[in-house]
Amino acid sequence: MTAVVAADRPEARRGLTALNPLAKIAGPAPAMLALVFVRDLSTPLVFLCLAYAALLLGARLTRRGLGILFGVIPVAIVVVTAGFALWVDPARVADTSEVVRLGDGAVTQGALEIGLATGLRLAAIMALAFIGGLTTEGPDLVRSLVQQLRVPYRIGYAALAAIRFVPRFGHELAVIRQAHRVRGARGGVWSAPARAVGYVVPLLAGAIRHAERVALAMDARAFGAYPDRTERHRVPWRRRDTVFIGAFWAVSIAVFAVVRPF
Amino acid sequence: MTTRPHPVAASAAADTDALLSLRDVAITHLDAPGATPSAVSFDVRPGEAVLVLGPSGSGKSTLALALNGLVPHSVPATVEGTVRVAGQDAATATIAQLAVTVGMVFQDPDAQLITGTLLDEVCFGPENLRLPVDVVLTRAEAALRCMGLWEKRHESPDVLSGGGRQRLAIACALAMGSPVLVLDEPTANLDPRGVDDVYVALREVVAEGDRALVLVEHNLDAAMGLVERVVVLDGDGCLVADGPVDDVLRGRAADLHALGVWLPTATLAALRLRDAGYPFTRLPLTPAELREALEGMPARGAASLPRPRERDRGDALVSVEGLRLSRGRTPVLHGIDLEVAAGEFVAVAGANGAGKTTLVQAIAGVLRPPRGTVRIDGLDVRRTDARTLSRHVGFVFQNPEHQFIATTVFDEIAHGLRAQRLGDGEVRRRAGELLARFGLADKAGIHPFLLSGGQKRRLSVGTALVGGARLLVLDEPTFGQDRARAEELLTLLDDLREDGTTIIVVTHDMQVVAEHADRLIVVDEGRIAADGLVADVFSDPALIARAGLRTPPLREAFAGLRRHPELATVARLRDLPGGTR
Repeated sequence: MTAVVAADRPEARRGLTALNPLAKIAGPAPAMLALVFVRDLSTPLVFLCLAYAALLLGARLTRRGLGILFGVIPVAIVVVTAGFALWVDPARVADTSEVVRLGDGAVTQGALEIGLATGLRLAAIMALAFIGGLTTEGPDLVRSLVQQLRVPYRIGYAALAAIRFVPRFGHELAVIRQAHRVRGARGGVWSAPARAVGYVVPLLAGAIRHAERVALAMDARAFGAYPDRTERHRVPWRRRDTVFIGAFWAVSIAVFAVVRPF
Repeated sequence: MTTRPHPVAASAAADTDALLSLRDVAITHLDAPGATPSAVSFDVRPGEAVLVLGPSGSGKSTLALALNGLVPHSVPATVEGTVRVAGQDAATATIAQLAVTVGMVFQDPDAQLITGTLLDEVCFGPENLRLPVDVVLTRAEAALRCMGLWEKRHESPDVLSGGGRQRLAIACALAMGSPVLVLDEPTANLDPRGVDDVYVALREVVAEGDRALVLVEHNLDAAMGLVERVVVLDGDGCLVADGPVDDVLRGRAADLHALGVWLPTATLAALRLRDAGYPFTRLPLTPAELREALEGMPARGAASLPRPRERDRGDALVSVEGLRLSRGRTPVLHGIDLEVAAGEFVAVAGANGAGKTTLVQAIAGVLRPPRGTVRIDGLDVRRTDARTLSRHVGFVFQNPEHQFIATTVFDEIAHGLRAQRLGDGEVRRRAGELLARFGLADKAGIHPFLLSGGQKRRLSVGTALVGGARLLVLDEPTFGQDRARAEELLTLLDDLREDGTTIIVVTHDMQVVAEHADRLIVVDEGRIAADGLVADVFSDPALIARAGLRTPPLREAFAGLRRHPELATVARLRDLPGGTR
């Protein structure tokens, strides 16, 4: 079985895009896990900056990617910070000074800090996940799962086919909702669960039928006939993948050693 | 999943040269009461193009699946008799062995896509066969070039039209390298332009001459000229005819018609005309042949047939004024003006994406039109609540299942009546009447999803009309259905119309337009390109081509006939002289 590497592709790959998808998951994974347990402000902030630097310098992001980095994540920080600042038990932060007074309650500096720490923590974890998420294509992830982790290709490629179902079901759900509205299904906020149940049966019936047809079409093209299949695109494990993981782990350890959040 | 030799199988020796060889094949699905197909024997040799015909329920699709072992390997069923694929017994061969001999193309182009680009898609099959990369790429290139898709190889299949995606499915089957291609209703989900697209591609495949084609198709008008041999099953799934197109379709047309097999429109027309005394020596299969045969006959000097009577137009039921509508940020309709009178049967046609569905959905209030642009019975659709609107207009979606909201057929109908706050007794009485009228009285207690396809469709029409609506709007109600079921629905619509219901239907099927509608509205790029009596709209071939439509076969055959001016204006089979065919 021969293979061409990334041949006949519209564009060559550089930076993060050229790394093995698994390396981009394994590198940030320990830091993401450790971040779940920190409570301070500095550690998540450092990792947030690190992840942004990696993404902005290491990959040419799409408009959607930039929108996530500069739209979704900042908004998430603000929302989570505000939410947690209001939600936190005032007794825990009673000894800190008030920042804003809202009717009977007050937002104290301590509450705000806890909120911000939570917001930054979630943002840092998200940003680290996007190092792989924004620079990897689904098919490449499946290929590396099959090639490096020996996941059976029948499962990997079936999952890939299933991803194609998602927009189809989205469209079908929109049509079903429209149809039910026309029929005058119960309106109002409170009957929303009952309405949703009503969508399930037609959606499932359509999904099962579609899945059966796709399965037949795959069988007709000998999918799963042999224990392996030709891979036109190798997703190799190169030295740079190992280096990337090693470097990321080293930096993560260094950050924790310097900031000492625990 | 057993395969036992049929007693007769021993007598008929399998043809060893044949790519496909069937002997006394009978297939029984798990819960089916009997076998369909039930007795089929035929061979397919290299380079042949075979059309499989049979009435609805004769097991044509099941037979197609058996030709490459999907039945019984993937779809559990009992197969009796033998199916030999390139000499191998399909019951014992592996799917991979069968797949390299028989490539399949299915009805729904979307259900055949697995990967994200055209090239990956075509490579998918050969990769499964573990072919070396250079062979995979060579085959993919040849297949994509043959289907005219090579330039788009790096694009997503989503950018292709329906016809384009079906050509991609053919390319995928070609790349398997199989000498036989089996196509099961490949154009049933396509608009007229897509159908042409696919048939141009198939002609290309046949012209290469190295592949055999087995085609299950209800659109016979498109398939004529492509196939050279016809295999016919009867309603029980027994083989009743097998031979060249000329012998079977021309020679036994009347028998086949009696069996419920759909025939080309030109042949149906000729059968009627022959009964009326037009001396056909050879039955025509295409509009061109019909025209030629008629021009070769002595003129009859018969009085000109009356144009389809123009109905007295009632009062305006629907009026649309300056309707503009966007979906998301894309403007779809750019200023539509039209009126529909009570009692009309209006067809709305146009290419995919022209805005037909948006237009009719806005009329029925499924989409909310801007204030004052759409009125039904004088009510501004925008300012009318759903319950009131349901007393004036009913909308039927493409897939009836999408509309069902209750757990029994009775409740499905009763829902609309209860919404009008009628008493229990009154609900029961009126629901009972409606169920009886739509032939569903004995199904009242069962779940709507357990009905047959035709019954589901009737129920969806019933639910749309139960509120007392005088206007029924349908979005491609015959899409993806076989002829028999489509005809059943259209007959129902004709009956409703006789009782005074106004009907607006979106359709791709030009013969449906010609046979049932009295008015045709052509939508092109969000504007009304034509609006008039069906016959008048079809008399502008340039417009028809521009809007991605086709001239209906009868119109093509009869327009401007010199010898038989009495036929020149006929566009509907039922207007032809010649009894009840």
